[in-house]
Amino acid sequence: MTVTTKSALSGLFDETLWSTINSFYIAEAWLLDDRKLREWLDLFTEEMVYYMPRRRNVNRKELDREIPARGTDLPYFEDSRKLMEVRIQRLESGTAWAEEPPSRTRHLVGNLLIESVEDDGTVRAKTAFICHRSHGETATALYSGYRQDVLHPVDGSWKISDRTVVLDANVILDKNLAIFF
Amino acid sequence: MKTKKYNVIDQETGRLDPTIYCDPDIYKEEMEKVFGRAWLLIGHDSLIPKPGDFFHTYMGEQPVILSRDKTGQVNAMLNICRHRGARVVRTDDGNCKSFVCPYHAWTYGLDGKLEWVPGEEELYDGTIDRAQLGLKRARVATYAGLIFATWDQQAPSLEEYLGDARWYLDLEFNRSAQGTKAFGPHKWVIPINWKTAVDNCSDWYHVPYSHASAANALTRIMGAPRMTSDVLWKKKGRAAFVNGHQVAFFRLPEDSFDGNPYGVDSTAENHREAIERLGELRGDGLMLGTHSLFPNTVLGFRIVIPRGPNETEFWHFSMTNAADTPDKQRAVALEHAAQNGAGGHFESDDIDNWSQVSSSGKYAGAREIGQYVNMGIGNTHTDDVFPGQISDRFVTEQNHRFFYNRWEEFMNADSWDDIPLDPMKATFEGTASMDG
Ligand code: FES
Ligand SMILES: [Fe+2]
Repeated sequence: MTVTTKSALSGLFDETLWSTINSFYIAEAWLLDDRKLREWLDLFTEEMVYYMPRRRNVNRKELDREIPARGTDLPYFEDSRKLMEVRIQRLESGTAWAEEPPSRTRHLVGNLLIESVEDDGTVRAKTAFICHRSHGETATALYSGYRQDVLHPVDGSWKISDRTVVLDANVILDKNLAIFF
Repeated sequence: MKTKKYNVIDQETGRLDPTIYCDPDIYKEEMEKVFGRAWLLIGHDSLIPKPGDFFHTYMGEQPVILSRDKTGQVNAMLNICRHRGARVVRTDDGNCKSFVCPYHAWTYGLDGKLEWVPGEEELYDGTIDRAQLGLKRARVATYAGLIFATWDQQAPSLEEYLGDARWYLDLEFNRSAQGTKAFGPHKWVIPINWKTAVDNCSDWYHVPYSHASAANALTRIMGAPRMTSDVLWKKKGRAAFVNGHQVAFFRLPEDSFDGNPYGVDSTAENHREAIERLGELRGDGLMLGTHSLFPNTVLGFRIVIPRGPNETEFWHFSMTNAADTPDKQRAVALEHAAQNGAGGHFESDDIDNWSQVSSSGKYAGAREIGQYVNMGIGNTHTDDVFPGQISDRFVTEQNHRFFYNRWEEFMNADSWDDIPLDPMKATFEGTASMDG
């Protein structure tokens, strides 16, 4: 394998770690698309945060303002484990009309970049994604963006304690954000 | 008597003609007769706190620059260059000294005055009349930090336009000298007619069923108050109607939904200030519920931006008390984000309903059977304490009937001379004022 990522150049690239985390993400995407949301939520720690900021149109010289800093703005999501349970319990009720009948989603997750590995095994990883959503008879939406995760090795697998989902869109061209990324 | 061009709502039976949601000609006429005349909410003071700050917004479909100039004055200008019509501002917000059009660099001041034209002497031989070529300006006025604008020079003042609705809006927006702070907005595009989103936000009838999944999950997991029909139908809230605006309000503490001893205030100190400003009844005894301002503002606040007969962009801001600590403000904003907005537990469930209501007018069968907003007919009256037309229930479709009646008044009028305004009767105790 040719290694050209920044992490690889800075010595962080560990092919085994990369493959392990990559297959973790592939399994995660299948859980979402197979609608196994409880199993998906089990991939997160108890103290988890699921965060999605807005994305502003700003001039190139002000790109540091494009994604508002956490804690300063109105993000789309900044959910604790409890709020994620509200979301999932809601969807399971059969009367969460935004997802009734449920969407068909397809998440393609790739471009895994391992940004750092700490002594206790904590990994920071970045992935790009494309997600297609098909809902009801003819509604479709296409999302693209990236995710930044903090992962911890737990019992031979990984748990995510912090996920930031950054969409590429400024105005969201979809009727709601009732799916997960 | 002149025959009305539009007669879409039967006030006696509540029958509503759904053609108004779909017809492209009606939509085009709305852009002139409603959005070309009304005072429209376009932003908030806290979005442009400093001189040179600007925020990009919309009046109806039209792009607008909201700016604060060096003197602190707030301006609203059509974001269309006087040269060839390019958009001068292309970012969501920022701070600058002047607006330079990216096409040929015509340059406008923060108040829209044309300040510089490249080649004015060499290419135009000095024939440019800069005084005539500023950005098109709208009239701007502010109430309690909320910024409104209208294109119509004949429109009444914002104070008259809001009228006694302010008496109720003060309950939320005029509680502290520091005012409110806006977070956001979320922006998303939904396949609905703009009117459906506005009438729905005063519709409490759908809440226990449409939002059952969210309410139940929040009750079970977060201990939130229950929102069943049993609870809602028994609340003693009322609704008031003024100039096509609607406000639902509740008595404290018995009709409070959150059990907060100070109603909407987070500390005893905030609460005392609110009573000083608004008086005992409004500061201590009442809480504002849903509210919509004609035509396209659903306060909390949210702006409903028309994009076509069956397309609407929705902007969701969170309003917080500027007197609260940053931590408290953040907590309030996050709660608003989780409940409403593009990803909100509650809001997500609304959109397919709205979309289907809006598109029903496409079908001959639906036009034949009409829609029915007949709940609470005949239950509206005036009241000694509460200004406006009052209904003794907040779960009522009176709001729909008033809203569509107001829509008819705008659509049937040739000018503001034909649009009636309710007289202002409220006694504004305390220091609540237009400059809140
Ligand atoms: S279009 Fe703006 S300068 Fe020409
Ligand atoms: Fe709703």
